[in-house]
Amino acid sequence: MSAIQVVEASKRFGSKLAVDQVSFDAAEGEIVGLLGANGAGKTTAMKMLLGLEEPTDGQLTLLGQPASDVDRRHLGYVPQGLGLYSELTVRENLQFVASSYGVEVPDLSAAGLAEIADLQIAALSLGIRRRVAFLAAQCHQPDVLILDEPTSGVGPLGRARLWETIHGAADAGAAVLVSTHYMDEAEECDRIVMLADGREVMSGTVDEALEGVEVVTVGDLTAEMTSAVESSGGTPLFSGEEWRIVGMSMEEVHRVLGKDARAQRAPANFEEIFISIAR
Amino acid sequence: MLAMIVKEFRQVGRDKRTVAMLVVMPVVLLLVFGYAASFDVDEIPTYVAGVPESAVAQLPEILVVEEIDPNGTAGDAADKLVAGEAVVGVVGDGSSIRIFIDGSELFMAQAAVQVALVAESQNPAVSHEVLFNPDLDTSAVLVPGLAGLIIVFVGTLVTSMSVVREQEAGTMEQLAIMPFKPRDVFIGKIAPYFLIAAIDIIAVVLIGMWVFDVPFNGSVLPMATGAVLFLFVALGVGVAISSISQNQAQAIQLALMTVLPQIMLSGIIFPLSSMAPAVRWIGYLLPLTYFNLVAKGVMLKDAGFGDLAFPLAVLALLGVVIFGAAVVRFSRKLRPAKTKATA
Repeated sequence: MSAIQVVEASKRFGSKLAVDQVSFDAAEGEIVGLLGANGAGKTTAMKMLLGLEEPTDGQLTLLGQPASDVDRRHLGYVPQGLGLYSELTVRENLQFVASSYGVEVPDLSAAGLAEIADLQIAALSLGIRRRVAFLAAQCHQPDVLILDEPTSGVGPLGRARLWETIHGAADAGAAVLVSTHYMDEAEECDRIVMLADGREVMSGTVDEALEGVEVVTVGDLTAEMTSAVESSGGTPLFSGEEWRIVGMSMEEVHRVLGKDARAQRAPANFEEIFISIAR
Repeated sequence: MLAMIVKEFRQVGRDKRTVAMLVVMPVVLLLVFGYAASFDVDEIPTYVAGVPESAVAQLPEILVVEEIDPNGTAGDAADKLVAGEAVVGVVGDGSSIRIFIDGSELFMAQAAVQVALVAESQNPAVSHEVLFNPDLDTSAVLVPGLAGLIIVFVGTLVTSMSVVREQEAGTMEQLAIMPFKPRDVFIGKIAPYFLIAAIDIIAVVLIGMWVFDVPFNGSVLPMATGAVLFLFVALGVGVAISSISQNQAQAIQLALMTVLPQIMLSGIIFPLSSMAPAVRWIGYLLPLTYFNLVAKGVMLKDAGFGDLAFPLAVLALLGVVIFGAAVVRFSRKLRPAKTKATA
């Protein structure tokens, strides 16, 4: 039995179908990434799972039970807004969470937060705030950890540190569901579920997603050629050294740009796969 | 600059509550307070005892006789004044006529004193006595009402902002997935404001007594009962406002819409009897009107539970309805939604 299970879940807000028959699961110790652009339906899917939004259709369970029945001491959640009290200090926030769960206050020294323990959350950088929120969400060692855009707005070093923490939680046995719109973070996940406009457009491991998917590279594109590619359904991306065309075959590129375009096949990276799927 | 002006108009126009504040509220406030803002006293509810009917007919028009009791005594008149059923008691004993005036109803009492002085100058058998607030002290009348205003301020304004702040910061969602029952969150959320308001009331009353010599003639229990009931109403209004507000600015706007009428129409500043009937009825719907009766009754008139049964009952009713609705609405926000369990 998966710790997280979502079966054909849908959510409609008025005429807008925010999530459309999405299914995914996550086992204990597994990190599953919900990937997608802003507005793809990631947060809504997570909120349905946690019982913060009622699904229009589908079945969602945590540890085999619907969110309304599951013992909340098994859940850890870091919302996009982080859920910290900005007027309280780091220590006071953690004391509140720890006493709510009936556990010891986490060791701030071990977490590298001892020096800022008595600073108010409002005075801290976003990266530090996210670390505090992580610590709060994990202080009771939850079996299910749900993280909504945990690395958003954080610098590369901070993101690496947060992913270390996420892996640590999974290694300790937690099923982790994490949403992100950074495609390069897909590689941190054991499996990924890609959403676009509320629909699930891809599901599997990163290797599965990357397998056999190619883009066409060309040396240079004029403005006219870029327009021609776009009007033919391709997406030209400049990588710094070359142009990489997503969504068109070699033959199509030759037809649009001519045989002199010096086009070559190359393995797609994850962002390009997402663009190709989500188009 | 024109672009800025156009942008600003568009922004304001999209926020319906702000439009209501800017357009509808001034008109409503002008109409309501225009009819309410009057210190002129046209009618004074009067109890008459032991006075021949021929003499009753000669009473000035301003004294509106609510009850005539041929066998009534001065004690009965005082009881009527304590219970708030009359502001003036005219009691005759065959040889003299005594006019008792309820000094806790400041403006009506001032008007009644003028009537009494004229009567005394025309008839030496007439005398008057101002009860409960003999010097017609303004502070004696304002301090009990101020205690009520503090409850409104803390209970409604501060509480609504505090709850909305949780929603804005996303901490409400966090609370919803923590191992709390909705009831625990609700009580935990409002208990501090309950205590703060209680301490504020005690402080205001004590300062009123020590600094402004406001009497506290009654017992603490009916006052505390009225304060607790009123606090439940005010907290309920605050939580209800927070449940329909999306941000603190909206909560403040809505809270002010409930606080302002209570200040103006509850009888604390302007006497209810001076208001136009329709506006007066708005006053009768406001909880502060009844707490004001309780506070003044206890502090100035030594009123007990029996005398204050009606305002206490109204506060209890409003408390059950408003606080109950707020609890239900608040709990709904925190209760996990059904997610259709797998078979």
